[in-house]
Amino acid sequence: MSYLKTIGVMNNNPTGRGFGHPVDLAIGRSGHIYVLNRHAALARVGVCTLDEEYLGEIGSYGHEDGQFWLPTAIAVDNRENIYVADEYHHSVTVFDRSGAFRNKWGERGSGDGQLDGPSGLAIDADDNVYIVDQKNCRVHKFTADGRHLLQWGEMGEGEGQFNLPWGITLDTQGNVYVADWRNDRIQKFTADGRFLTAFGEPGECEGQFHRPAKPAVDAEGYIYVADWGNERVQLLAPDGTFLQSLRGQATVSKWAQEFLDVNPDESTTRDQSNLVPDLPSHFNTPYLVSTQTEPYFWGPASVTLDADGRLYVTESSRHRVQVYERVRG
Amino acid sequence: MVSRQDIELMAHLMRRAGFGASRDEIEERLARGYEETVEELLNPEDTKRLGDDVIRRYHADIHESRIPDPPATEWLYRMVTTTSPLEEKIALFWHGIFASSFSKTQQSRSLAVQIDMFRRFGLGRFDTLLLEVSRDPIMIMWLDNHDNHNGAINENFGRELIELFSMGIGNYTEDDIKQCARAFTGWTVGNAEYMAARAMKASIWPYGAIAWHFDYRDYDHDHGEKEFLGESGPFNGEDVIEIIARQPATARFIARHIYDFFVADEAPVTQWPYTPPLDPDAIETLAGVYVDSGHDIRSMLRVLFNSDFFKKAQFARVKCPAEFVAGTMRLGGGVSEPTLDMNEANAVIGYMGQSLLAPPSVEGWHEGTEWINSGALVERVNFAAKQFNDVEKPGVRQIIDRLANENGSAFTPDELVDSCLDLMGPLTKVEESTRNALVSHVGKKGDVSLRPRTAGRESDTRVAELLGLIAATKEFHRA
Repeated sequence: MSYLKTIGVMNNNPTGRGFGHPVDLAIGRSGHIYVLNRHAALARVGVCTLDEEYLGEIGSYGHEDGQFWLPTAIAVDNRENIYVADEYHHSVTVFDRSGAFRNKWGERGSGDGQLDGPSGLAIDADDNVYIVDQKNCRVHKFTADGRHLLQWGEMGEGEGQFNLPWGITLDTQGNVYVADWRNDRIQKFTADGRFLTAFGEPGECEGQFHRPAKPAVDAEGYIYVADWGNERVQLLAPDGTFLQSLRGQATVSKWAQEFLDVNPDESTTRDQSNLVPDLPSHFNTPYLVSTQTEPYFWGPASVTLDADGRLYVTESSRHRVQVYERVRG
Repeated sequence: MVSRQDIELMAHLMRRAGFGASRDEIEERLARGYEETVEELLNPEDTKRLGDDVIRRYHADIHESRIPDPPATEWLYRMVTTTSPLEEKIALFWHGIFASSFSKTQQSRSLAVQIDMFRRFGLGRFDTLLLEVSRDPIMIMWLDNHDNHNGAINENFGRELIELFSMGIGNYTEDDIKQCARAFTGWTVGNAEYMAARAMKASIWPYGAIAWHFDYRDYDHDHGEKEFLGESGPFNGEDVIEIIARQPATARFIARHIYDFFVADEAPVTQWPYTPPLDPDAIETLAGVYVDSGHDIRSMLRVLFNSDFFKKAQFARVKCPAEFVAGTMRLGGGVSEPTLDMNEANAVIGYMGQSLLAPPSVEGWHEGTEWINSGALVERVNFAAKQFNDVEKPGVRQIIDRLANENGSAFTPDELVDSCLDLMGPLTKVEESTRNALVSHVGKKGDVSLRPRTAGRESDTRVAELLGLIAATKEFHRA
């Protein structure tokens, strides 16, 4: 993968271009990019394009229909309806492409089809919805209108077991990949939940993970993992072999440049600064390094692929999205 | 056989070296012994607490640097859930002395790193701690050392290093301050000009704040000869700290601070030059340990916790708001995963007058009885009542379950009040008039029976209500 560009700027207002602690991203067939912002009291979906045209917001902060409190995940179906999971409301809210509220479903609990802290969403070719049920440590499959079809998983470290799972994705065959967050691995299942294989183990080395947040899988089966705790993205071959690690190389986005242009006191000193500095030795974790090194990923909570194979890395602590593209050899 | 005195003493130790303890924890620690517990607190191993990973995942905005609340909430999680409470208590102690604030820095992520520095170095040699403080980027920006240049000194850091951080007023000259400042020229932060510009106003940066790190600019350091506290040489900052740390005034000043925080409320620091210590012998003892141990804070605390002057000082301090909130939450129990309630609990600490990471000035907070005013007291009482009135909280259930297994599970109002006062502390020094008021309140509904054990029974609610009332007593607010 090679770096393409950065989209975003911090926006601590409820509307307008920019993001506030974005945690997930989905891309519609229209090319619209839906960025889910979790910022306290400012939760919303921001809509934009790869060319950094900002189109507006969907949803807002609150407890009413069409509002979020602690949103976790976003996905779009074939008609470009937009689904948002909320771990505070234990529900999924659905909007149409215009941003109008359609419906909401989900119920808190640990019984069949009930949710406790939904944290991941993926939608298959038939518009069925897979939901990661974080605190119940399982995965559900629902119809688009919320009818429960099946579920699998429980708390544990074995095959098909989970520990606070987070994100989820599907490959073109409909296989299911789950970020088994606190077990530091990605698990792969058939569409009906039969365990196939698992990738990764705890650690900072190649092919190891520290609290992976979300996988993405391209048309050729290559696996991309938001290795959240290691503040990086890893690219794996379809068989799980390590291929590449990305640490982040953000540049100034169009919106960031516009901000700097109108704040010359800041941009002047910024231009004289080294934003990839040598750090004292006690800054010895990826997290601490990322707090000090602006181009690096900080809080890569999500990876998403577009129809052309471009990779979008959503950074919750830097309020931006770094975009990478495949290098065709 | 464990005596009541043993329980009281262990509870006292856990209030001072930590944030209090439930009766179960007190009994577990008594089984290992008092001196052994002191050693465990001073040398923690295998610390357990709610993990940073689950906190950071849930509180996506806890990384945010534009406001002081998120890292303060992160710290509160540690105070409430850690099995090594002295690590947090010593950080709180040094945060009050090396008081630096969000207000002038706009950089709470680096404030969190400063607090972690207090954890890592707060129990070690004072020289090392002072050196870390001098290299701490928050301190550098807070006291303008990034503006302290060769040939154009800024005395702010040099002055506070001697006056507020080590020796105290009356033990140095104005020229010592100038020489000290010269020794710290060139001690700055990376990208100082950019960071200083950003510290002056809230900004989106544009990708959120970049945290700070120490940088030494040798070209901006004054390498010339300096005379400092009667010694001369081409001193750099490290040399000055070494000289400061071996001053008798430093030994006494640090000893008095430690006594004030861990033993009994002293007069405000500004009055120390004119007001003798509460216990001059204790200060001399602690200052002597400072010298004999090579300026080792852990050695001072070991002597302190095992001393008679400490053991006799039960309830001689007013709990600061952070102690009060963290202690109440530990006793109430139930913090096993992140929730938005922790944001509110942190905010309440601020309403009580102690916004963590945002002290009012470089002098820190005025402590002791100054924590208590009518507004703060209402906040304290309301917060504690909310914790203890919930019969589903594990700590409250633990108390109710213990009571159900005592006294034939049936209590007169007198017996219930005495048992609850015991399990909430023990609160041995409650005034008779307070106790009578509690008994009178319970007596309005007669005796209490906690058998049979069925969920939601009224007697459980009456016990929880009594616990909330006890938390409103003057004695519960003292440590």
